[in-house]
Amino acid sequence: MTMTPHRADTSAPALVLSPTDPGQGASRRVGPYPWAMAAAVAVAVSGAAMSLNGVLGGWAWYMPAVTTVIVVVTAMALLRRVRAQPLLVAAGGFISLILILTFTFFRRNSIAGFIPSGETTDMLGQYVRRATETVLAESAPVAPNVGIVLVTCAVLGLVVILVDALAVPLGMPATSGLGLIAVLVVPAMIKPQSVGLLAFIITAVGYLMIVGCSQWFSANRLQLGAGRNPGQFKRAAMTGGVALLATLLLQPLIPGFDRGTFPQGSRLNPWGSSSGLNPLISLGNSLRSPTGEGRITYASTATSPLYLRLVTVDRFDGETWAPDNRDDTRRGGVARLDPGHEINATDTTRSITSINTGQFTSPYLPVPYAPAGVNGLDGSWSWDPSTLSIKGVDANSHSQQYVVVSAMPTLTADLLARSSARVRGISDDFIRPPEGVPDIVRTTADTITRESNTSYSKALAIQRYLRSAEFTYSLESPVQGGYDGDGLSVLADFLAQKSGFCIHYASAMAIMARLEGIPSRIAVGYAPGRPTGKTVSLAGQGALPEYEVDARDAHAWPELYFEGLGWVPFEPTPSRGFLPAYATESSASGGASTNQNNDDLIPSGAASGAPLPSTAPVPLPGGGAGGVAGSQLLPVLYGALGILLLGLLLASPRLIRSGLRSRRLRPGSVASDDTALQSWAELRDLAIDYGVPPRPSETPRHFSARLRRSGALGEEDGRDGAAHRAVNSLVQDFERREYGRPLRAQAALEGSRPGGTPASIAAARIELIIAALRANARRLVKFRASWLPPAVMNRWQSTLGTPFRAVSRHVAAWRRAAARTLIRTRDGLRRVREG
Amino acid sequence: MDPQRHITVDEALPEGQGLAVAAAAAGHVNGHRPAAMRAEAFHAASERILTSINTVIDGKADAAKLALTVLLAQGHLLLEDVPGVGKTLLAKTLARTIDCSVSRIQFTPDLLPSDVTGVSIYNQASRLFEFRPGAVFANIVIGDEINRASAKTQSALLECMEEHQVTVDGDSYHLDEPFMVVATQNPIEMEGTYPLPEAQRDRFMARISMGYPDKDSEIEMLETHQATSPLANVSAVVTAADVAAMITTVQQVYVSQAVKEYTVAIGRATRESALLRLGASPRSLLQLLRAAKATAALEGRDFVLPDDVMGIAESVLAHRIILDRKAAGTGENPHSVIRGILAKIPVEQNVALSSARLAGQRGLDPGQTLRNPS
Repeated sequence: MTMTPHRADTSAPALVLSPTDPGQGASRRVGPYPWAMAAAVAVAVSGAAMSLNGVLGGWAWYMPAVTTVIVVVTAMALLRRVRAQPLLVAAGGFISLILILTFTFFRRNSIAGFIPSGETTDMLGQYVRRATETVLAESAPVAPNVGIVLVTCAVLGLVVILVDALAVPLGMPATSGLGLIAVLVVPAMIKPQSVGLLAFIITAVGYLMIVGCSQWFSANRLQLGAGRNPGQFKRAAMTGGVALLATLLLQPLIPGFDRGTFPQGSRLNPWGSSSGLNPLISLGNSLRSPTGEGRITYASTATSPLYLRLVTVDRFDGETWAPDNRDDTRRGGVARLDPGHEINATDTTRSITSINTGQFTSPYLPVPYAPAGVNGLDGSWSWDPSTLSIKGVDANSHSQQYVVVSAMPTLTADLLARSSARVRGISDDFIRPPEGVPDIVRTTADTITRESNTSYSKALAIQRYLRSAEFTYSLESPVQGGYDGDGLSVLADFLAQKSGFCIHYASAMAIMARLEGIPSRIAVGYAPGRPTGKTVSLAGQGALPEYEVDARDAHAWPELYFEGLGWVPFEPTPSRGFLPAYATESSASGGASTNQNNDDLIPSGAASGAPLPSTAPVPLPGGGAGGVAGSQLLPVLYGALGILLLGLLLASPRLIRSGLRSRRLRPGSVASDDTALQSWAELRDLAIDYGVPPRPSETPRHFSARLRRSGALGEEDGRDGAAHRAVNSLVQDFERREYGRPLRAQAALEGSRPGGTPASIAAARIELIIAALRANARRLVKFRASWLPPAVMNRWQSTLGTPFRAVSRHVAAWRRAAARTLIRTRDGLRRVREG
Repeated sequence: MDPQRHITVDEALPEGQGLAVAAAAAGHVNGHRPAAMRAEAFHAASERILTSINTVIDGKADAAKLALTVLLAQGHLLLEDVPGVGKTLLAKTLARTIDCSVSRIQFTPDLLPSDVTGVSIYNQASRLFEFRPGAVFANIVIGDEINRASAKTQSALLECMEEHQVTVDGDSYHLDEPFMVVATQNPIEMEGTYPLPEAQRDRFMARISMGYPDKDSEIEMLETHQATSPLANVSAVVTAADVAAMITTVQQVYVSQAVKEYTVAIGRATRESALLRLGASPRSLLQLLRAAKATAALEGRDFVLPDDVMGIAESVLAHRIILDRKAAGTGENPHSVIRGILAKIPVEQNVALSSARLAGQRGLDPGQTLRNPS
């Protein structure tokens, strides 16, 4: 946006006679320019590099990166100081980059410490392989090993050359921000806290310095300064406002911005309500989101607080965990689900839950464990026999209302303690401990379960350890410590820092359980929610209190397998969820009371049907009225907004055109001596609108003569004579203003018009001309002039094309320069050979 | 050199011809600058001149106006056309409408430089060398068929044209103001002639091709000019002093920066054009702008428009540029090339105009576009 005025001014008419190349201008008046520019580029790129802290661990890598940037920048400034050709400056930048990288990373494997040799290339291959492994295998923040630091420094050096090339020889300083964004986009994508304020501010300051330098030292600064007009601050503010508004309004409309492979965008989405294919990735973000989104309401006959489970994670290998969909073994039809393993328990607790997912969008269906049957779903769904997770085949969870029948063995501590038989009949996926478990996990697990002998007591020991006062629940500390997310190394960090949120606790317990021989998996879903105060009437069950959960209740918990009992959920996360009775140790002081936050929210006696005021029996499984209203209102709002935007977009050429006209003709808005110029500009634009565009090589007089001859203004001696005379007067005023003697012209203009200010006279003339043009134009032309005025459209077109034209011009210039250099070199060689 | 001789020379001159020595500054009549004429008087005077020329030469108003423009711009005029279209008549009519000294030189191969400039003759009575002024000592000098004279005679005239002075035997004599040479040249029958070389053509401000009159004018000419010479009815309508004042008015016409830039753009474009072997010289640009000022003054304006430059450019530049051989082969002529150049040079308008900015972008780099004319 800021780029446009600059380009337009560079190609301003006054300069056509002596087209100045910014690069030439720079070399003509060197002085402090190269140094100022170098400092600006260095500040900008170093600032952008700062944001990489968190992608790369620690700060150790920053020193070599800054050294690289400074060396490259200095080399290019030196070359520019001695007035080298732009191509040579860029080449010098490359060479200095290679030299400094060699000096920093391959000092021992090079000639004289900085000249690359064959050995350097071998080492380079090795480092690059290492960097590749880092990129593929590790998750941020990665340890700053030599390979990745080398790659980082090289890329930063290239960015310096790119930014410099865009800002100086190409003369597009505003575009140089692209290079900086290329650096910033990495932390923006990878780090949950994005770029970071300090880094962003320094980058922005550097960028402004680049733009400022190129403006300040521009060869034609005087002309630019003369052309500065008073509205520029207002315009800048407006541009900024429009950009901000577009950022807020457009991003929910862009498909795929907040889901799919690029779910990071969901952080920006204030109305979004989705989780991607990998709920683990968005878990932390959902928890941190300030507003509750993806509201799900439910009512259940269950006696204990209800966990809604979406999916399980059972493979803990590698650095990023994701649910295993087991697409080849999934079964269709969710009316009857079978847990697939043997249940020997005598008592079974059955519960019926009615769920309304509202705006919550996910491929997985939230159901309370263990679902035995789901009814009332739209679309076709499939389920995984080994985990009972339900996934849509051609549907998702958006606006689903369904009833789930869940069946769980009635679990007691006694029952669990007795279940010590060897595990049979479940997949090895749940049993095998992951490879490469960090030592701290293994030793911690062994230490805390040393005194336990049964699976149950070991599980309790792990849970007790994690719920102990040593651990604090925090959404922020993993982000600050750089171990937000999942993976084995994150787990090690968590155990060392003892601070994290549910995913850390759940994965710690699951992995430690596996290490101790208990099959385990992580369930991802929602912790029990809050009562809404409404009731839902469920067929055959009477009125049940309704609860709601939203993104802030997103949760992960471990499920451990006990032979004969199936998968048993535990709750190792302090202050979240609900500690089931079987997982409560009689001696422990904790129990249900440890989750202070949720105590009052949990319907401890909900099943007894707390007699909440019920208005009328809501039809099955009627969700909250507010939710329905909200979900109906939103599309309407969007639609209205969309239509409004569309209308604004369609009308914008007309609005801009009429705004331009009124600004030109408003008395007092411009200096009085500019009236002639402004009304002349308006006349030209009017002619463009009505199909008589001025030609560049036409004088004002020729142009007006052609306009009058063209018939657009009607007959000269007919009723449109006044318009013809108005055109003539405008031409004369303009000629006098533009070519006449400066002082006398003004005096003549003001003296000769007793009947009004020059501006009002000009406005009246323009009115006359518009009336004549409209009266004589065909309908189509009139329509085009009103709604798609070519004067505005052409300008937009040319503005859009400016970068392309500039690039092609400079590419041509560079090609010529390269050819010249080649010929000169060849001639030189020939001379050397002959002489 | 003794001062006596100068006095002698002055006395020997015909009255009304204040021959000044080199001490007097150029451009001044009798040592003082004539006052500028008021706009109305200027307009009336120019109208009178043009009307009386047009009574003599039918249907050649443009040529008459151009001739007057050149006179007011202190330039010299080259009339080039086939015989019998009224070249000499135009020159003589212009001279007659002004009450000033006129001399006519019929150039022949045996004409000597001293016939043009004058010669020092030993006066036996006074026993001193006396300077006898040549034909060039007049306000308007009509050089008929200038290409028939030998090169050295042409050169002698051309020195006078450029410097408004005559140098004989080491003494310089200033010519009167206004001073204008109207030379005619015949483009056919070139055998045995000495066509003006480019360097000398460059000294003429403008070249006019008279062209044949149209049918009506020709019929009218046959009617009116049958019996008497049309020149007989022409009498002077302005004085030499009037013309000097008009010239001063022209000199005071304002030229804006934009017009200067436009003029320079034209010059540069002719030099960079691939169609031309020789472009316009800086002198030609100077004369172009002077002619444009005179045009503006004749139209009653006190400032120059790009229109003025554009309108006069063809006449001023066409005889100075030399076509590339290839361009000549493709049927181009100097006039068409200049028209092509004018059609490509953007007329820059104020930077504040956003629409002009667009036009400027489209017409960027005039040199490049002109190298490939459509």
